[in-house]
Amino acid sequence: MKRNVLHILFWALVLFFLFIQIYPVAWLFMASIKPTTELSAAPFALPQNPTLENYISIFQDGSIFHYMWNSVKVTGVSVILIVLLSSTAAYALTKFCFRITKPLYALFTFGIMVPVQITLIPLFCFYSDMKLLNTSITVILPQVGFALPLSVMMFVSFYSFVPNELIEAAVMDGCSAYGIFFKIVFPLARNTVITVASMYCILIWNDFIFANTFISDNEAKTIALGLRDYVGAFGNVNWGMTFAAIAISILPPMIIYFALNKYVTAGMTLGATKG
Amino acid sequence: MKGVLRDKKAFLAFLLPALLFYAFSVFYPIIESIRLSFVKWGGIGEKQFVGFDNYVKLFQDKIFYTAFLNNLVYLAIVVGMQILIGLLFAVLLTYLTRGATLIKTLYYIPCIITTVAVTQMFRNMYATQPEGIFNQILKAVGLGKFATSWLTNVDTVLAAVSIPEGWRYTGMYMVIFYAALISLDPEICEAAKMDGANGFQLLTRVKLPMIREVLLLTLTMVLTGALRGFDIPYMLTNGGPGNVSELMSTYMYKKAFGSNQYGYGSAIAVFIIVESILVVGVLRWIFNGKEMREERRLRRIRKKTVSERRRGRV
Repeated sequence: MKRNVLHILFWALVLFFLFIQIYPVAWLFMASIKPTTELSAAPFALPQNPTLENYISIFQDGSIFHYMWNSVKVTGVSVILIVLLSSTAAYALTKFCFRITKPLYALFTFGIMVPVQITLIPLFCFYSDMKLLNTSITVILPQVGFALPLSVMMFVSFYSFVPNELIEAAVMDGCSAYGIFFKIVFPLARNTVITVASMYCILIWNDFIFANTFISDNEAKTIALGLRDYVGAFGNVNWGMTFAAIAISILPPMIIYFALNKYVTAGMTLGATKG
Repeated sequence: MKGVLRDKKAFLAFLLPALLFYAFSVFYPIIESIRLSFVKWGGIGEKQFVGFDNYVKLFQDKIFYTAFLNNLVYLAIVVGMQILIGLLFAVLLTYLTRGATLIKTLYYIPCIITTVAVTQMFRNMYATQPEGIFNQILKAVGLGKFATSWLTNVDTVLAAVSIPEGWRYTGMYMVIFYAALISLDPEICEAAKMDGANGFQLLTRVKLPMIREVLLLTLTMVLTGALRGFDIPYMLTNGGPGNVSELMSTYMYKKAFGSNQYGYGSAIAVFIIVESILVVGVLRWIFNGKEMREERRLRRIRKKTVSERRRGRV
């Protein structure tokens, strides 16, 4: 009897915490299918007359597609660069026999402590000198730079499991350092590639601070900025449309997260514990 | 970690692209920030070298002190929520016999949503017009007198901008703690139970000390994360009303991009980076210090037992 009560209490507590975490997100999707009048009358109740009018007005407005495309460009290029640069650099740091590899690795890991705000003023000045403000490249550059410490670390920790004997054997067979990387080491790192790529897809898609600093022009705005823009554009915030826009914008990260759940959490938690 | 390849050209070909990217986007800004912190510059025209003036000004700036203290409060709330709730929920999950993976997956969702969405959600929940959910709940349970306009009330605004950040990453720390807790050797827990430890003792005396390393690492992570907190406070109130919810990074942003004081803004940025590195350093020192003391104690005990054994033999 006592056991049963404890059991119920335990489950109640678990569900209570889960409710706090999930409710705001679930509510967001619910609110996005409510007509405007219902949204102001009973914002937190279940939708009575679900409607797609918010989504239709978002699509008619059309600018969301433009913002999404900008985000796809920024995220895609950044993630490809991150995977390429960190997998090669980690290879150089783990599989070559030079004394400099250790201090270089320390240099890379130092970057984890550096707050991103430090880059804003210098890069802003640099971009404005180079007439680069309001282009996608302004965001890609610091995104890749600040992703490198962690992604290099992840590749290094994987490569250290690749036995040196394997590489020696390949050298014996006449394989060059390049061949070893492209034919042996990189294909073995498939899981690490997926982890790094999925994690940074989500993080970069969600970025606000770099985009907000370097981009002000509607042409180059990413989705995170676009969401805010939406709100302002209607003077009196049109919550229905805002929620619909938010719901659309968080779908891509959600899809990646649910499809590659194991990899994403592995990457993000590793990132946390290595800090 | 030592490799076997010796081809210098290939080494450079693999290393240099990443190194150059990294140097330009991380190290160049640090050096440039330090340089800019010694000049007075409005964005156009001549940069005027002013020595330590910006730093002197910084330490006399009342708003900067407000921002610094606010940052400590922000830090306390964020750390409290993420570490305590994260840990509590991780412990609960370890007692779960089924469904742990599903609950873990769902619990993690807020981490993958953009801060802009989080901000808009909370803005709506804090709102008074239409009535947000916080006020509605307060009224429903008969505490209507506490209902307030959370983001414009000077007493509540700082907590109101801190809570979304704390809420957002609780799931991530829960996953980290959970992974550490379930990787513990079950035999040790069994042994403690045999010795008569109850559930609470088992947790505080056995399990938590064993994941001490993870606890300290996450603490480092949360602290440096909170020191650079920016997105949510910036979007919710931008330091307002007045400077009541100003944080160091929002103040830096305001100075640099709001009023074109790039030199002064850089001085604040340099302060933030020094502070972050100090915090990490101090935490590592505490952690390593503890470990070293422990090691010394063990060595002493070992020596003692060895000499005792010898004496016994003689």
